[in-house]
Amino acid sequence: MSSEHTAHLQPTVLRINGAEHELVLDTRATLLDVLRERLDLTGAKKGCDHGQCGACTVLLDGRRANACLLLAVTLDGLDVVTIEGLAGDDAPHPLQEAFVEHDAFQCGYCTPGQICSAAGVLDEARAEGVALDDDEIRERMSGNLCRCGAYVNIVAAIAGVAR
Amino acid sequence: MRPFAYERAHDAAGALAASAEAPGARYLAGGTNLVDLMKLGVEQPARLVDVSRLAMDTIEELPDGGLRIGANVRNSDLAVSASVRERYPLLSQALLSGASGQLRNRATVAGNLLQRTRCSYFQDVSKPCNKRAPGSGCPAREGDHRNLAILGHSPSCVATHPSTWPWRWWRSAARCTSSARAARARSRSEGCTGCRAPSPSATPCSGRATSSPRSS
Repeated sequence: MSSEHTAHLQPTVLRINGAEHELVLDTRATLLDVLRERLDLTGAKKGCDHGQCGACTVLLDGRRANACLLLAVTLDGLDVVTIEGLAGDDAPHPLQEAFVEHDAFQCGYCTPGQICSAAGVLDEARAEGVALDDDEIRERMSGNLCRCGAYVNIVAAIAGVAR
Repeated sequence: MRPFAYERAHDAAGALAASAEAPGARYLAGGTNLVDLMKLGVEQPARLVDVSRLAMDTIEELPDGGLRIGANVRNSDLAVSASVRERYPLLSQALLSGASGQLRNRATVAGNLLQRTRCSYFQDVSKPCNKRAPGSGCPAREGDHRNLAILGHSPSCVATHPSTWPWRWWRSAARCTSSARAARARSRSEGCTGCRAPSPSATPCSGRATSSPRSS
């Protein structure tokens, strides 16, 4: 391999859901593509691939972010949590249970992003001391689109966990 | 996306040196605009200099009542800062009205000032655009310009700057760091309200197609 090419490959250690992965990454690879294509973590979905739909939402050092706009080589040493790592070993995350209970999805494609985003919202609201009424939930979840239109039940599910 | 070399800067001097030695280098912070433009082929840097971990992420209150906002402060953090909420609520509201929670968590203050226009012709490399390719023309003047400039544009470009909050900020008493001040100067020329084309009837606006590193 020529030096021209090796300049575009970087050894990187990604910490995903508590597990470290030593990878040699193309500098162009987004976190979303590495999750899905290299690590078989296909929960985060590729919707728009431009940071507009939220289907790829993960938690980066505890804060929600669009995995499609994160270059994976920049994340060395940071903590990534995907939908696969959100729950504990024994039980689903309360948001996952609430989404089932409230029927907060139809096709389910946006659901991993919705739930990761909602987990971030709950933490943000707690840190800011903000009460999450329905309007506040709608505003804070506006970066997650659902083409099936399950918004009413998504709000209800998040509200059920927030209160 | 074109291949590029990646370098993480550990201090400001290192960042400057890393960009100076690679023509066409770009600074990367949040990446919410730059990475997107790289996917679209609008930006094709030979090297990315990652400045996202530089310690420029504080908001300081100044003795004269102003604020000094670090270039790497995240939009989310600036919006919920107690001093901003108490003394500059319009700034907080403007920040929170932009983008989404996910994007605000990554977007930085300096990067927000440096972001490029959302004009659809600028973002489509198959179309002419005076901002992207000076002299090629401006289809937006006759085409899709619903969200573009009504006032203060030039004959060559009707693009607007996409940020809502810097305009408020410039009219407030808040102060900025020297790096953000440089960003502000660049950002001003991005919006065609500040177009520096020589005269209203003169040559296509070419001042924005520079080779200097830009942040994301």
